[in-house]
Amino acid sequence: MSAPAEIVEGQPSAERGSPQFEVAHHFDSADTQFDAGRMGVWLFLVTEILLFGGLFCTFAVFRSWYFEDFVEAHHHLNKVMGGANTLVLIGSSLTMALAVRAAQMTDKKQTTRMLVITLLCAATFLVVKYFEYSAKFEHGLLPGAYFHGEGFQGTHAGVFFAIYFLMTGVHGLHVLIGMGLITWMLIRNLRGDFSSRYYAPVENVGLYWHLVDLVWIYLFPLLYLVG
Amino acid sequence: MSDHAQHGPGGHGKDHVPHILPLSTYFKTWGALMVLTVITVGASYLNFGPGNLVLAMLIATAKAATVALVFMHLYYDHKFHGVIFVSSLVFLGIFIAFTMFDTETRGRAEAMEGEHPANIKDPFGGTASEAAAKAKLKPAAAPAHH
Repeated sequence: MSAPAEIVEGQPSAERGSPQFEVAHHFDSADTQFDAGRMGVWLFLVTEILLFGGLFCTFAVFRSWYFEDFVEAHHHLNKVMGGANTLVLIGSSLTMALAVRAAQMTDKKQTTRMLVITLLCAATFLVVKYFEYSAKFEHGLLPGAYFHGEGFQGTHAGVFFAIYFLMTGVHGLHVLIGMGLITWMLIRNLRGDFSSRYYAPVENVGLYWHLVDLVWIYLFPLLYLVG
Repeated sequence: MSDHAQHGPGGHGKDHVPHILPLSTYFKTWGALMVLTVITVGASYLNFGPGNLVLAMLIATAKAATVALVFMHLYYDHKFHGVIFVSSLVFLGIFIAFTMFDTETRGRAEAMEGEHPANIKDPFGGTASEAAAKAKLKPAAAPAHH
C-alpha cells in the first residue's frame, strides 16, 4: 500500500523510523502487538463508560424525581459557554485524529503541530470551565447542602448542582489527565519515537481523548440544554 | 487493510502498515459534528415538551456514533473492538433501566399495603384479592364495635 511495506527484513530500523521499536518476543507480528494494545485500550474505555455510566444513572434518577427543580436549575447554566466548549472539544478531537494520521505518515512536524493545537484546545476548555465554575460559586450555586442560590422556586436545586459539579468535575479531571498524556506523546514525538511502523501510543491516547469528547457530547445537552 | 493478511507465521520482520484515511474524511466528519452541535443548541430554544430530551439524545447519539466510527476508527477496525464498545453501552442501558424500574416505582407498594395490610403472623396466608374480599365482607368491623 505505502512505502514502508516494501522495506526488506533486516534493514536497520533507524532508517525505517522508530529506531527503538521492536516487536516483543511473545507477539507473532507487529500487527498482533498493535491490535492487542488497542484492544486493551478499548477494554479500559469500557470501564470508563461504566464509571461515567453511574453518574448518568444518578442524573436520570434525580431528574425524574425532581423534574421541575432540575429544569429551573439548568437555566442557570450558560448555554453559550457550554456550546463554545463543545465546539472547542470537537475541534480538539479533529486535531487529535489528525495527529494520529500524521504519525501514521511519519510526519513528525505535523504530529507535533496537531498535538500542540489539541493541548491548546484542552486548555481553552478548562479556562472556560474555570469561568463557569467561578460564576456558579459567586451566586451560591453550590452542591447539595452548600447551595445558597437565591430566587429558586424548587427546593432541590442543590441536588442538580451536586450532580452538575460531580459530572463536569470528573469529566474535567479526564481532560486534565488527557492533557498529561498528550504532553507525554508530544515529548516522545519530539524524541522521534513514532513513525508509520510504530504509532500505537499516539493512536491509543487519541482513543482516550475521543472518549472524553464522547462523554461531553452527552453531558452538554443533558445538563445545559434539556436539564 | 489487505496488508494485514500478508504476515507469515512468526514473522517479526514485517512492519505494521497503517490504514491511512484521506484528510477530507476527517474534515467532513468534523463539519458534520459542528453542524449537529449548532442544531442541538438551536433546538433547545424551541419547546417540544418531552420531545426536547428525545431530540437532544438522538443528536448526541448521532454525534457519538460519528466520532466512534471515524475518529476512533471503529468502522475500519476489527469488528471485535466495536463489539466491546457496543456491549458496554448495552450493559449501561440495562444498568440505568433496572435502576429506574426501582426508583420510578417506589411508594406504590406502600399505598397498596395501606389499603390491604399484610398479616405479619401469616404473611403467605392470603392473596391481596382475598384480603380485599374479606375487607368488603366485614368493613372495619372489629375496631368500631369495641
